Amino acid sequence: MRVLLVGMSHRTAPLDLRERLAVPDPIPGLRKLVASEEVDEAVILSTCNRVEVVATTRRLEAARLRIRSFLRRELAECDLGPEVDECLYEHVDGDAMRHVLRVACSLDSMVLGEPQILGQTKQAYRSALESRAAGPVLGRLFQQAFATAKRVRTETRVAERPLSVARVAVDLAKRIFEELSDKRALLLGAGEMIEAAVEALRGAGLAQIAVANRTPERAAELASRCGGTAHGLDELPRLLAQADLLLSCIATTRPLLGAAEIEAALGSRRVPLLVIDLGVPRNVDRAVDRLDNVYLYDVDDLGAVAEENAAARQQERVRAEAIVEEQKLRFDAWLATLRAVPTIRHLRERAERIRASELERVAGHLALGEAEREAVEYLTRSLVNKLLHAPMTQLRRAAEREEGGAMLEVARMLFDLDSEPDLDSDPGGEPESGPDREPADGA
Amino acid sequence: MTAPLPQFTAGLYLGAGLLAWAGMALRSRRLERAAVGVLAAGAVVHLVALGLGHRADPPPPLTDTAAALSFMAWIGTVAFLLLLRRARLAGLTVLVAPMAFVGVFAAALPMRSSEPASFAGSGSWPHAHVLLASAGAALFGLSSLAGILFLAEHRRLKSRRPLDAKLPLPSLEALDGVNRVALALGFPLLTLGVATGMLWVASERGTLWTGSVHEIWSTLAWGVCALLVTARFGAGQGPRQAAVASVGGFVFLLFAVIGVGLFA
Repeated sequence: MRVLLVGMSHRTAPLDLRERLAVPDPIPGLRKLVASEEVDEAVILSTCNRVEVVATTRRLEAARLRIRSFLRRELAECDLGPEVDECLYEHVDGDAMRHVLRVACSLDSMVLGEPQILGQTKQAYRSALESRAAGPVLGRLFQQAFATAKRVRTETRVAERPLSVARVAVDLAKRIFEELSDKRALLLGAGEMIEAAVEALRGAGLAQIAVANRTPERAAELASRCGGTAHGLDELPRLLAQADLLLSCIATTRPLLGAAEIEAALGSRRVPLLVIDLGVPRNVDRAVDRLDNVYLYDVDDLGAVAEENAAARQQERVRAEAIVEEQKLRFDAWLATLRAVPTIRHLRERAERIRASELERVAGHLALGEAEREAVEYLTRSLVNKLLHAPMTQLRRAAEREEGGAMLEVARMLFDLDSEPDLDSDPGGEPESGPDREPADGA
Repeated sequence: MTAPLPQFTAGLYLGAGLLAWAGMALRSRRLERAAVGVLAAGAVVHLVALGLGHRADPPPPLTDTAAALSFMAWIGTVAFLLLLRRARLAGLTVLVAPMAFVGVFAAALPMRSSEPASFAGSGSWPHAHVLLASAGAALFGLSSLAGILFLAEHRRLKSRRPLDAKLPLPSLEALDGVNRVALALGFPLLTLGVATGMLWVASERGTLWTGSVHEIWSTLAWGVCALLVTARFGAGQGPRQAAVASVGGFVFLLFAVIGVGLFA
């Protein structure tokens, strides 16, 4: 049994190609794949950054060709042509397993540590289960991947620190305010930066939003999108006096708000004000930070925090990779034991056939009643089980090691498993004078 | 049978403190939760120890510094655990648990009071005085611990240090909330404690004021606390100034109630 992964990602394929291969519902494709002789089990992972097929097969070369052909001709609505091949990568066995674990842990993502990929991987596996395309090997592999992702998230800090300016702003707000749902945000400007930040803040519970802009129409547009109220800049002092959070990104040549304006607006109010100035040039004078209850962060501050967070995540990558390697070794060990399964099954079947055949032959001489027959059945079965227990255990253990293949070969040779047994021969001798006869060697 | 209970309580508080610090160092929510659990267990054992101690024959004098410290530690811990239900304050365990440990541990040390306590003909005034004053002081202590953490987080935010999302300290708003609640509840209790103390003295000596060192310093401390509360609720003091004032006020209170007794 081999594990094969064929796919493309943001590292190897441009967006327009990834777009054409993106599949909203992988189930029909999965059914096609496992219906073919070359593929035993399959999972299709399709996200905006990657399309990958993970499969198990007993015919590696044929499966490789089949999956490449599937990706080029069957997954997309049209034949994508040979340029797809140049963007595809392949991983086999250990490398394929490692890749699946790394993907689930977001170590192969565009943004290291992003959380969405784990959910997408789980969904891909669910689809494979629904279409009966995932069997025991991929089942075990994906469960291992989910467990690895959990370990990486709990044991390392690879996913902890926010990387986008918007997410850093949310973190800041949570540091200052216990709840965002009862806080008022004032958005100064109505551009994309402001919109991205306010979306993140709304996701964290912020509900009361006022948008102030030079152009009232743009303020109204953003206010309607984020469920806020639109205002002109002339209302700024009044709005500022009510705000707990000021998000500013407006085109200006000099700071629009100085310490005096903010101090005057706050008046006797003693609750904190978080000011996030995303404008370049800055909209809020740096001197504002000297005010006691005002926390001012400009775009450089947020960017610096985001950069430090990214650097911290990269440092954690080494620890995460070590966990992936450890988990991969566990899966390797489990997969290796599967190599022993056909030999063990064969050995057991052979022993059972010999036992049944010998019992049948001897039973004719013994005139056994029902109870005696059951006792002899039990005895012979027990003997066979006990005799086989040690070799089967050793074979399983040996299969986990590199030299396990040789050991399995030796076992097949010793027990002559590759030829049909001669059940008529009598290597041990046939009882000649019934059950009362003493054994010849006196044992 | 009750002798090991205070030691067990101290052990639990110390364990909670160690877990909380380990949780903060390792950024582990699990350790942080465990610290809160152990602290709560400590508070339960502490209550049992206080109850059993009070039923002993003869009961230990409630008016000594040791009893007051132990009771302060318990009240402070319980108040914190109650506030935990309202806000994300688990991070404050790093200060509350060690303080509770210090309170219980110090209560076990041999100390002398500033004046020998007298119970003859005093009725319930001694008990009321110690319980109310200790509870008030404990709440001032809690407000000062919240103040310390507030100042640390304020400084961190002003310096724009990288943020660690996994195990953040309590928000400034929550810490300021603890400060407000603790002051609002602590000051009336402290005032009642001072008043019952005066009534105790009156029942003993026939006058409300004898001019003892303890009376003078306690009254001064009450005055400082009154200023603190007035500034906070009457003069619109900001959260940072309130945090600084709480820390300073509690240090003075502690000195006035315990320090003067030790050094006089």
